[in-house]
Amino acid sequence: MIEASFMSYISLSILLFSIGIIGLISRKNIFIIYMSIELMLNAINLMLVTLSKYFSSMDGQIIAMMVMAIAASEAAVFLSLIVAMFRLKHSLNIDDYNALKQKGTL
Amino acid sequence: MKYDDIIYLLPLLSIGVGAIVLMLLSPIKKFSIDKLSWVALFFLIVSFATNALNFGMVYSIAPYAHLFSYMLVSDTFSGYFNSIIIAGGIVTVLVGTHYFDKSNMLRGEVFSLLLFAVFGMLLLVQSNELFTSFIALEIASISLYVLIGFQKNNVRRIEGSFRYLILGSMASIMFLLGVTLIYAGTKSTNILNIASYLSSHKTEDMTLTIVGGTLILITFLFKIAAFPFQNWSMDAYEGAPLPITAFMASTFKVAIFGFILRFVLVDFHELKNIWSDILFYVAILTMIYGSFLAIFQTSLKRMLAASSIVHTGYLLIAFVSIGSIGESAATSIIFYLIAYFLSSMGAFGMLSYIASSDHLRVTYEDFRGFSHVRPYMAAMMSIFLLSLAGIPSTIGFIGKFYIFIGAIESGYTILAIVGILATFVSVYYYFKLIALMYFYPSPEMKGKIPPLRGIPPLVIGIMAILIIWGGIGNTLVSYFPGIDFLIDTAKFAYQSLFMG
Repeated sequence: MIEASFMSYISLSILLFSIGIIGLISRKNIFIIYMSIELMLNAINLMLVTLSKYFSSMDGQIIAMMVMAIAASEAAVFLSLIVAMFRLKHSLNIDDYNALKQKGTL
Repeated sequence: MKYDDIIYLLPLLSIGVGAIVLMLLSPIKKFSIDKLSWVALFFLIVSFATNALNFGMVYSIAPYAHLFSYMLVSDTFSGYFNSIIIAGGIVTVLVGTHYFDKSNMLRGEVFSLLLFAVFGMLLLVQSNELFTSFIALEIASISLYVLIGFQKNNVRRIEGSFRYLILGSMASIMFLLGVTLIYAGTKSTNILNIASYLSSHKTEDMTLTIVGGTLILITFLFKIAAFPFQNWSMDAYEGAPLPITAFMASTFKVAIFGFILRFVLVDFHELKNIWSDILFYVAILTMIYGSFLAIFQTSLKRMLAASSIVHTGYLLIAFVSIGSIGESAATSIIFYLIAYFLSSMGAFGMLSYIASSDHLRVTYEDFRGFSHVRPYMAAMMSIFLLSLAGIPSTIGFIGKFYIFIGAIESGYTILAIVGILATFVSVYYYFKLIALMYFYPSPEMKGKIPPLRGIPPLVIGIMAILIIWGGIGNTLVSYFPGIDFLIDTAKFAYQSLFMG
């Protein structure tokens, strides 16, 4: 049963991953960048769960659970940094944050 | 169940317990930064001592193999890297406390986060399973993101942290994708199982595994700031507070190399030649681009950050030749990591101590005539810079010597030539500071320079002596641990990888 739809699941997860990468590269809003990163992590989760079902072993599902925990801890850091950034400059546009650019040489 | 296995986990456990204890203690008003730093130091020293118990012999043990199902391993290799990482933590606490004390935004939680980062790095070096190393990498990285952006009213800190966070998460996702693809190809994430799978199958059958391994290698290149992925390091190093920069620049690189050496030597033993071509060009470009960046910097912090990219290039030279001369290349990488650790930790530590009270002395020009005001500090700084540049009679020279000899032995003469040229260029940007400190009369020094008193100058002085000792010590007094001891134990570490 999983054999029949295996490729569809893998294709879906690769599609989600690609959407995430494109979002990360092309969008300027720091919230959307954060959402793209979460999307990529969840695409990998889908792949892991599919593989685990395909191999009929639990390893992949356990890894997927732990990836969720790691994604949650990363979300905590991301969201608190976004709040701190917004307090400082009142902007969510990534282009407004250029304090570290070295002027003049190179 | 064996109870004596606990001795192999004690370094890890003591750091983990210490991090949680410090987290609980830090909100209490009674505990000042000074007291908390002693608590952190206690746990770090316990960890260092328990790690040193097994030092100097070849062993390889999977502690509580049934409980952890061979996910953790404790061998001479991990012991060697553990001692460098824990020493990095100890030096950061000793040198950094003065800095944290002076800047009022950095509170006691810093030590808890620092110990969590050390914990993640130790776990990374000891993990024998790819997913465990992913978790370890994330523990270390997330603690570092928070440490960089800890002063949340300073826009530079927050920005450096955010840039590192976005690119670092991207790199971790690449790592996770690589692990998933290897799991898809081999049905396992344990390093030993993957190694036996790879040795029993034809190369044509394992496209997925090779792609997965390449993705993990990309994460590795990112984390050590090699050529196409180097830009984050300038921003993150500049944005971070100076002691944290020192910790990141020296210790994290050591941990990542510890993991990737185990991964390539044990796991992808059969396949390690397929990446030599691409790593060859990466090493050359890293050295050229790093030197180019370092020449044009005016801020010392950015110069040291850029020069750490060049040192990554030197390490990659030895990493390329690992395919043909495994043992001596791995030994030279391990030895160079110690040399680089001592020199860069010392240079960054000295800068952070000098800048701790007023944050004025940050560019080359601020150091004009510095030796007339603080002669001993200038001398220590010069020793670190000489070692970074690889001048004979310092440990940095011996490290570079082994790396270039290894490159020539394995037939990569071009790499050795580019490396030596990069060293020539590096003399320019290191000696510029020495010349400014010594050969100019001292104008009125603005601001307040901290005196040569207390613990931080002592620790930095000891590191300067160790650098000189590593360079000439063995010829002065025999029977006292010197370079030979370090190189012998590095060889033991390499051998212990293949005992499992």
